[in-house]
Amino acid sequence: MLLHYCDLAWRNIKQTPFVSMLMIIAIGIGIGVTMTTLSVYHMMSADPIAHKSDKLHAVQLQVLDDGYTWRTEDDVPLQLTYPDAKYLLENSPLEKRVAMLKSGAAVHIDRPDSVPFIEGLRVTSRHFFELFDVPFLHGNVWSESQSKQAALVVVISEGLANKLFGKTDVLGESIYLGERLHEVVGVTKTWLPTVKFYDVNNDPFEASEQVFVPFTHIEAYKLPSWGNTNGWKSEDINSFEDFLNSETVWLQFWVEFDSESQKRMYGQFVLDYMTEQQKLGRFNRKELDYNLKTVPQWLKYNYVVSSDNKILVGLSFMFLAVCVANILGLLLAKFMKRAPDAGVRRALGASKTQIFSQHLVEVALLGLLGSIVGVLLAQVGLAGIRGTMSGYDLIAIMDWKMLLIAPVISILACLIAGLFPAWVVCKTSPATHLKVQ
Amino acid sequence: MSEIKPILSALKRSKTGAILLVLQIAITLALVSNAMSIVFDRLDKMTQQTGYDEQSIISYLVVTYDKRIDKAKQFDEDIQKLKELPGVIEALAVSSVPLTRSGGSWMLSTDPDDLKGKSVDSGYLYGNHTLVGALGLKVTEGRDFTENDVVYDRKKEYPTVAIVSRAVANALFGEGKGLNETIYSGNNAAKVIGIIDTIKSQWPKSNIADNLVLLPLQDSTAYQKFVVKTTEHQRAEVMNKIEPLLLELSRGRVVMDVKALDKSKADTYASDRLMIKMLISIVVFLGIITALGIFGLTHFNISKRTKQIGTRRALGARKSTIFKHFLLENMVVTSLGMLIGVIGALLLGRKLMGVYDVPPLENMSILLTAISMIVMSLIAVLVPAQRAANISPSVATRSI
Repeated sequence: MLLHYCDLAWRNIKQTPFVSMLMIIAIGIGIGVTMTTLSVYHMMSADPIAHKSDKLHAVQLQVLDDGYTWRTEDDVPLQLTYPDAKYLLENSPLEKRVAMLKSGAAVHIDRPDSVPFIEGLRVTSRHFFELFDVPFLHGNVWSESQSKQAALVVVISEGLANKLFGKTDVLGESIYLGERLHEVVGVTKTWLPTVKFYDVNNDPFEASEQVFVPFTHIEAYKLPSWGNTNGWKSEDINSFEDFLNSETVWLQFWVEFDSESQKRMYGQFVLDYMTEQQKLGRFNRKELDYNLKTVPQWLKYNYVVSSDNKILVGLSFMFLAVCVANILGLLLAKFMKRAPDAGVRRALGASKTQIFSQHLVEVALLGLLGSIVGVLLAQVGLAGIRGTMSGYDLIAIMDWKMLLIAPVISILACLIAGLFPAWVVCKTSPATHLKVQ
Repeated sequence: MSEIKPILSALKRSKTGAILLVLQIAITLALVSNAMSIVFDRLDKMTQQTGYDEQSIISYLVVTYDKRIDKAKQFDEDIQKLKELPGVIEALAVSSVPLTRSGGSWMLSTDPDDLKGKSVDSGYLYGNHTLVGALGLKVTEGRDFTENDVVYDRKKEYPTVAIVSRAVANALFGEGKGLNETIYSGNNAAKVIGIIDTIKSQWPKSNIADNLVLLPLQDSTAYQKFVVKTTEHQRAEVMNKIEPLLLELSRGRVVMDVKALDKSKADTYASDRLMIKMLISIVVFLGIITALGIFGLTHFNISKRTKQIGTRRALGARKSTIFKHFLLENMVVTSLGMLIGVIGALLLGRKLMGVYDVPPLENMSILLTAISMIVMSLIAVLVPAQRAANISPSVATRSI
């Protein structure tokens, strides 16, 4: 029966090519606009590490003394001070934790034709790769003792290995980071999360770093932060040591919990530390405070999905509503014109339900055709966005989920538009139409 | 006004078409007026005066990794050689580049203890005494830096004078005041020797867009930014020469981000440009769809009433009466749609304002949208109305 309806629908569409075209274009434009904004929203809000995003937690300590405020909604700074990060790293009751920051260096190798170029560095403790599931292609992360000695080792991505050496198996080779020669101990597979969730300081949509060095290098080689460094009170800082020990916040810290009880236990650990520090005159406040936020909470807290994007999604659905109203009008006109046919079919024994569903099938077919136009338009729109915004190459794209959802939205919109006209057609009694002929 | 009655009764008979039209017009009005309001706001922000000579400034970054290079000396040589290039007017090391969303900010206060006295969050920017001139800024009140004010390499002491933006002066010392007052950042004190009216900070889209403090301090760091002022028409030429020239003078460093200031500004506003483009495309498409809808529905309404029109004509109605009837009918429907649309627009505007950082909806935007929609619906109805007027009275007598 459905096939027969599809056949009828196709014939009807062909019979009125102009009106059908108009409707397909109308729904196509509506879907095109909606899918463009929705795809960007989908990619921006997609969980970048879905399988463990509720285990990973960003750690924040309320380091501000009473009377000071911060830019976040709860006044807690986004990053940690160096002494705090170091303590949490070295005394952590849990294995899986990472302290880190973004730095940068001129990268080159010991060949006369090697032209130095700037790369972002992730200066991080050993568990970065385990926490965030960064796979290794060759070698592994530096050892605990290498870390303690601040050994000149480095982990690079396969992309960078290829760029520098023209191959990926480069264990034992050395690269210059600035003026220091580092030995490559590991090569990671390409790892590009859609959102740089682990450090949203600069641009949350910038690509992740390709070079990783031990956390201990900060102290040993006085590495500067290339992310944000925020002081919240006036301090006399005259040397790098002063800076390290200051109340300036500039480091990111993440932990992974396997259970709720671990989370509670960790919370107590953090509180105990802060209470201890209060005796030294730090954390000068009535109520101690800290945050442990999961990846989705963290992204929301940092407003990673811009309000512009949400507004656009809302407006494009309103736009789709106008398209639906439009198609409703056109369908009404089209169906009314063909009401005599329906009358004949009714007189020949078709039930109301059959007439009704036959018309809905026709409408759904229009929706399907419209979604093809829409998806094509959305590709044009997304390409335009990628052209306007640098760094949106992974964001302004349509993944298979959106590709599947496009016809669903389109058919649904058309069905909504078609309900009333189909009902009007099927309820008219056959006699009225037969009489005039 | 005797025509109103038949219009109302005609509308009553074909409610569906009218309701659909009203709905479309209402949603379109609400959507377009809010979208245009956002567009105007963004355009306004993008075209605000920054005070900088955007068309003739280049910025670049030098990352020196070879520790053997004496940076202060090297940078002096760089700048001297740069100034020999045709078209270069001024060049200097700066702490950050305006309008680029990157740089330093601090808490400024009227008292060494930031919890006492008034304080304000502000960006800071430092360079030698040529800073103000090189950026094309104009000191409105007070004086510019002189060579004697400049502190070289931060190790010794902090500068004792500063030039602040009007917004900073106003926030700390009250409207129109601030010259010769002292500002504090912790124990560092500086006297305000000049105030600049038109100036933007490194973050022109933030809440500290107008807050900036200029300090006479020349630094030579391993990650040093520079600003070059050129003549407007020779800028592109100079831009291409910077990297090769500097690398020829000394290796062991990377020269990057050689960028025109207006390009930097455009990058800062890229997301706003995208928003404007998206909103305008929505508005344009919506305009087309709604015009088509009005055209189609009027057409449909008329074709359904061919016989009635014929009858009216047969009973003595003139062509112009029929024409006027449809024009007026369209007006009634459009006005109703507008009325609902204006209410919808205001509600939507308030909702957007409450949830997101959106400026209040401007009445001007609603009015402009409403006028263009009336014009549009008039144009859309002209052809179908003309056709209706041309229906011959004879159709009324046929086929009954």
